Amino acid sequence: MSSNTPSSSAGGVGSADSAAPRRNSKRPKYSKFTQQELPACKPILTPRWVISAFMLVSIVFIPIGVVSLFASRDVVEIVDRYETACVPENFRNDKVSFIQSPSTNKSCTRRLTVPKRMKQPIYVYYQLDNFYQNHRRYVKSRSDSQLKDNSSWDDISSCKPEDDANGLPIVPCGLIAWSLFNDTYNFSLNNQQLVVNKRGISWKSDRDSKFGSDVFPRNFQNGSLIGGKSLDPTVRLSEQEDLIVWMRTAALPTFRKLYGKIERDLQPNEVIHVTLENNYNTYSFNGKKRLVLSTTSWLGGKNDFLGIAYLTVGGLCFFLALSFTVVYLVKPRRLGDPSYLSWNRNPGGH
Amino acid sequence: MSGWEPGSSSLKTPSRTVTLGRVQPQTPALRTIFCNDRDSNFAHRYKGNSISTTKYNIFTFLPKGLYEQFRRVANLYFLMVSILSATPYSPVNPVTNMVPFSLVLLFSLIKEAFEDWQRFQNDNSINNTPVDVLQAQGWETLQWKKLQVGDIIRVKQDGFFPADILLLASTNADGVCYIETANLDGETNLKIRKALEKTWDYLTPEKACEFKGEVQCEQPNNSLYTFTGNLVIDNQTLPLSPNQILLRGCSLKNTDFIVGAVIFTGHETKVMMNSMNVPSKRSTLERKLDKLILALFSTLFSMCLIGAMSSGIFIDRKYFYLGLGETVEDQFNPSRRFMVIILTMLTLLTLYSTLIPISLYVSIETIKFVQSSQFINKDLNMYHAETNTPASARTSNLNEELGQVEYIFSDKTGTLTRNLMEFFKCSIGGEIYGTGMTEIERGIAERKGIKVQEVQTSTGSVREKGFNFDDVRLMRGAWRNEPNHDACKEFFRCLAICHTVLPEGDMSPEKIKYQAASPDEAALVLAAKNFGFFFYRRTPTTIYVRESHVERMGKIQDVSYEILNVLEFNSTRKRQSVVCRHPDGRLVLYCKGADTVIYERLGSGNDDLNKVTRDHLEQFGSAGLRTLCLAYRDLASDLYESWNEKFIKAKSSLRDREKRLDEVAELIEKELILIGATAIEDKLQDGVPSCIQTLSRAGIKIWVLTGDKMETAINIAYACNLLNNEMKQFIISSETDAIREVEERGDQAEIALFIKEEVKNQLKQCLDEAPQYFCSPSGPKLGLVIDGKCLMYALDPSLRVMLLTLSLNCASVVCCRVSPLQKAQVTSLVKKGARKITLSIGDGANDVSMIQAAHIGIGISGLEGMQAVMASDFAIAQFRFLEDLLLVHGRWAYIRLCKVVMYFFYKNLAFTLTQFWFTFNTGFSGQRFYDDWFQSLYNVIFTALPVVFVGLFDKDISPSLSKKYPELYKEGVRNMFFKWSVVVVWAFFAVYHSLVFFYFISASSSTCRDRSGKMFGLWDVSTMAFTCVVVTINLRLLMMCNSITKWHCISVGGSILVWFVFIFLYSAIMTPLDRNDNMYWVIYILMGTSYFYVTLLLVPVAALLVDFLYLSVQRWFFPYDYQIVQEIHKDDIHSTGTSDLLELKQQLTPDEARSYEISKLPKEVSKHTGFAFDSPGYESFFASQFSKYVPPKAWDVARRASMRSKATPK
Repeated sequence: MSSNTPSSSAGGVGSADSAAPRRNSKRPKYSKFTQQELPACKPILTPRWVISAFMLVSIVFIPIGVVSLFASRDVVEIVDRYETACVPENFRNDKVSFIQSPSTNKSCTRRLTVPKRMKQPIYVYYQLDNFYQNHRRYVKSRSDSQLKDNSSWDDISSCKPEDDANGLPIVPCGLIAWSLFNDTYNFSLNNQQLVVNKRGISWKSDRDSKFGSDVFPRNFQNGSLIGGKSLDPTVRLSEQEDLIVWMRTAALPTFRKLYGKIERDLQPNEVIHVTLENNYNTYSFNGKKRLVLSTTSWLGGKNDFLGIAYLTVGGLCFFLALSFTVVYLVKPRRLGDPSYLSWNRNPGGH
Repeated sequence: MSGWEPGSSSLKTPSRTVTLGRVQPQTPALRTIFCNDRDSNFAHRYKGNSISTTKYNIFTFLPKGLYEQFRRVANLYFLMVSILSATPYSPVNPVTNMVPFSLVLLFSLIKEAFEDWQRFQNDNSINNTPVDVLQAQGWETLQWKKLQVGDIIRVKQDGFFPADILLLASTNADGVCYIETANLDGETNLKIRKALEKTWDYLTPEKACEFKGEVQCEQPNNSLYTFTGNLVIDNQTLPLSPNQILLRGCSLKNTDFIVGAVIFTGHETKVMMNSMNVPSKRSTLERKLDKLILALFSTLFSMCLIGAMSSGIFIDRKYFYLGLGETVEDQFNPSRRFMVIILTMLTLLTLYSTLIPISLYVSIETIKFVQSSQFINKDLNMYHAETNTPASARTSNLNEELGQVEYIFSDKTGTLTRNLMEFFKCSIGGEIYGTGMTEIERGIAERKGIKVQEVQTSTGSVREKGFNFDDVRLMRGAWRNEPNHDACKEFFRCLAICHTVLPEGDMSPEKIKYQAASPDEAALVLAAKNFGFFFYRRTPTTIYVRESHVERMGKIQDVSYEILNVLEFNSTRKRQSVVCRHPDGRLVLYCKGADTVIYERLGSGNDDLNKVTRDHLEQFGSAGLRTLCLAYRDLASDLYESWNEKFIKAKSSLRDREKRLDEVAELIEKELILIGATAIEDKLQDGVPSCIQTLSRAGIKIWVLTGDKMETAINIAYACNLLNNEMKQFIISSETDAIREVEERGDQAEIALFIKEEVKNQLKQCLDEAPQYFCSPSGPKLGLVIDGKCLMYALDPSLRVMLLTLSLNCASVVCCRVSPLQKAQVTSLVKKGARKITLSIGDGANDVSMIQAAHIGIGISGLEGMQAVMASDFAIAQFRFLEDLLLVHGRWAYIRLCKVVMYFFYKNLAFTLTQFWFTFNTGFSGQRFYDDWFQSLYNVIFTALPVVFVGLFDKDISPSLSKKYPELYKEGVRNMFFKWSVVVVWAFFAVYHSLVFFYFISASSSTCRDRSGKMFGLWDVSTMAFTCVVVTINLRLLMMCNSITKWHCISVGGSILVWFVFIFLYSAIMTPLDRNDNMYWVIYILMGTSYFYVTLLLVPVAALLVDFLYLSVQRWFFPYDYQIVQEIHKDDIHSTGTSDLLELKQQLTPDEARSYEISKLPKEVSKHTGFAFDSPGYESFFASQFSKYVPPKAWDVARRASMRSKATPK
């Protein structure tokens, strides 16, 4: 580097190292690093390697795919879309005014037939559509410090526009809490109430660390019908599990949130009556609402994607391994055939 | 290029005395120094003697260093993004962009600081070197930096001069001292400096105290070898010359100590004023990289634009949960959609800023630095043991450029040839002596069918470096018996006396060493020694020669010749004369020089001898030998005295001293009597022919640009494998009868017009003829030979295109008789006209302009001065090392760098595109997908190191194979690995991978992925995705490696591991300060599900599957050449460097290859007489002859003057 400045080397004549070194050898010292002879393995993608790699992948992936697919198929899922059905016929043309009117009857009854035996626990989800919980304005409209700790209850700087009401800070503040989902579901089987357990539906880490046990809702909305649910001001936040679930914002605009658990088995062809309060306004933005009842497997809920993806990749690899083998047999290229060298292929060209 | 347009530049006044930019002093024109009188000098406020070469000091470092950094557009961009990310429009925390950016800045600043610190240390140690200064009647040791103008100082043997000083006295007799100027010009021969007689006595401190001289001299300037001034002492004005000046940077040799007065200090010393700024060059690849970055920028803007437009469309009050009331801020206000678009644009710009790889430049610089400082500089294959020089990369900017060179422009002397002159033959009194045969002659003879038997060396033959002569008729005093023994005697005397050589070392014939400016001169004096005229001592006025006329009879006689005048050699004069007085009082002028010059000045008579000698000269010339004519003239004393007066007058003139000296010399150098001619062989460098052959197989075209005559150049071209008889040769020469005829008429305008027309016709003819050869693939290759005068006209804008078309179709081109400027012009012609990557290699000062003009300049660190090396980008000791430098280092550097760049491109595109896909799912709000820290550390931690190791260690084939298959180099020339098609392929992979990353994970996580039915939130999904990204991107790197060392594994494994360690810590700790609690416990939740592991296996495999398929198909059906070679040598045991060398040696020794090629030499006997004398100043000769403006270059003055400063006795 210093060699870029000849002036310094020319001027540097007085330095101690210039006087002597002519006698010294400037022969560079040998090291594997400087001579670029570090031991290395040099994998070459020979046909054998290619075929075996593809084979290996297919051998590993196809079984995993089959297992995953079976796991997914084992899951029994009942999905009921109700956002239109639960609007009375005369309001079908103006759903928004239906949902926004305080006087209309929001109750609605749905019948769900169990297709297969469902082992407990059966999870109850609501699924929303076209709901951008991941919108930037929405995601950041919360105050983590306020949720965690009562002492910072007035820390609402990030909560706009739902930060205060009547000059007093809202707890919990922000758009997310404000828009809390407020449809309710009651299940009955053979006229017998099916108990929905709403405890333990949120992540434990959220309950323990993000939502303080000394924080109580204050000054929160009174549950006007356009938006969210009201919160019981006597229940500490760490126990408001619906809120905790809601506040773990979803990644995509179509999402499911856990509503509760039904802790008993359901037999095939049993009919569940669902009495639901259709309070939440998704009609403004044409959002769908679904009620989902689902069991789980070791891999989670019903989702064939992983199984299919594994099978596709595995199958593709198998196919590729086969076709490479065929090509290898039909039209082999000798390894290291000098006639493939560009200067041997067209000697005249350059 | 100021002289690019020949037409316009000819309007400029031809300047023969080359001046430098700062030479002409401004007012006041004179500087007056009162020696030994600090008080009087104080008024002038001369600068101190401390020097500083640092770029910064402690206060300026930060502002200046930062300024330097922000001159890079990329850094400005990142600064802008960092500022943007601190605004409310930013979706990300400012740390996201600031952390990586400040890390990168910090790294660069530390590097700068470190380099500057080293310079500072160097300066410091220089400034604190002790020196003896006269103070109060005694020598006192002071530090260099305390020295002031006017001080009297003492410098001891082997000491360096602390400033430019005026020599007052020396312990040697006659006030003489010897200095070594290696630090100035690389010449290791000693030079004499001589104090004025008046000051010889001021040696002791007591005496020196009395010295009260006043020096009037020029202002400080950077002309190393000129000095004009006067010393006023005791009311006497004595002229000063460079002969009394000792320059800073030189060291004292063979002298106990000297006493001198300081005249220029510190930055005003000539060496400091000469500090040359090497123009910095950027590699072609880096310039292409800029285009890629530009493409990335446009991608970035279109991504932002798409996002921003869509967000303008998306935003709507119907999404009541977003709280878009009437008072909503502009960015989300559905009533002001235009503002939404503009502001979202800014948001997205910060969000996608990772698309531009921030650490790319830092990584590339690191890689290149290690490549050049560790690999090139320390390559044992490029270490030349004989001269103890390793290769040296003087810049690390151009490593990969070495892998793409298509044209090499080579100097001849010192580069292709060894610059080692051996006295080979001579012609004395019409008789040729010397039985040796050059290889060129042997080749000619063999073709004629004459069996050449190996001549038995006679008993009398003496062989030493510089002398390869064998003829019993002359050796061991046998010349006494020759019929023309008187001529012989004069011949030998002339050799022994007429020169400017310095003897060094012991005064015995065996041990003496001759220091000469040119190897020709040394060879001639050496020859005289071997003929029994042993020159062993020189004082400024005398030359001592031990003449052993008949050795066996022991008649040894020490003869001293008084040297009266020396008329120096320079390129205009092309001759050198010495006027000496024999012990018997006889006054003789000895002269040696070019045949043309000498023959013009011969007296009448002796026509037979002159004619015979001319024949001999032609014979020598055709054998590739360099010739000089020797002549003498007896002077009558009155004639001499009257001439000498004029000479002294010219010598002491302050203006135009040089020109007037030449005129005076003209008066006495006439009516000469020819004695004979010498012939010196110019040895080829080791391995040149085989190296050239290898390089041409690599698709590199080699042009020889030389100042030599056409015949010599052609001969050397044959010897070097550049031309052979199978080639169709086009020769464009100005030496035709027609041109000569016009020239004799002497009308400059007419000559110019005529030659131009002639050159045009010749070019047209060649171009008409050429297609029929290069159109047929099996046809002969073409070769072009053109001389400087024709070149001058061919470079005219109207003919330039023709010249270029013709020469690009030629396999080799030889330009002879070219000036340094033309060398540079030819280089630029190809560089700019053909847009090919050029490399210039040369060793001398005359190659500097060519070295600077080419993409890559290579200096031979050899026998000539350091000027070429100083201007070069790489310095190697031997031409043959080009093979290693280009085929091994250059090729690797190119391939590695391409990989690094492509990988950077890929990894940032793939990463950023996942963000982009996410944007589509967030209502184009610009919500970030990843946590701030993930995004900021992605480039600088999680994916930074492995790619550096690839840039350092990736090795497709071993060095010996790159040299065995030089054709592989063509892949670099054709830029196979950095084409847009390659970029497109990588872009495809990046898009595909990002799709897999985003959609696989979002699709698979849409239902619950936990046994207890809980759903993942945004941050769980993004952490999953990021884990997959880090793993995949790192594994992709392993797939592109040709060789995998343990460092690859450690760094790739380490990077993935670092990610996990980071996320384990990060999601376990909650700090309220810097972030939301989003990431809390996320990884533990994830890793508690089986989904995590199933996906982590699926996504990388699914992503890399396509890459693997591509690589396999490419290798199987469209293999690159290097892949075939890999396969051929798949089972070779990994060979070490030493055995590589052995393997190469066994193929063909350079000598074998050379003699084989020599056997194909041309049949025609050329009519050239082979005058050649290593005259460093000839470039200005050409310049003046062609009425060219010569760019003021320090080396020019330096070289010319170094001749002059050498021992000019009076």
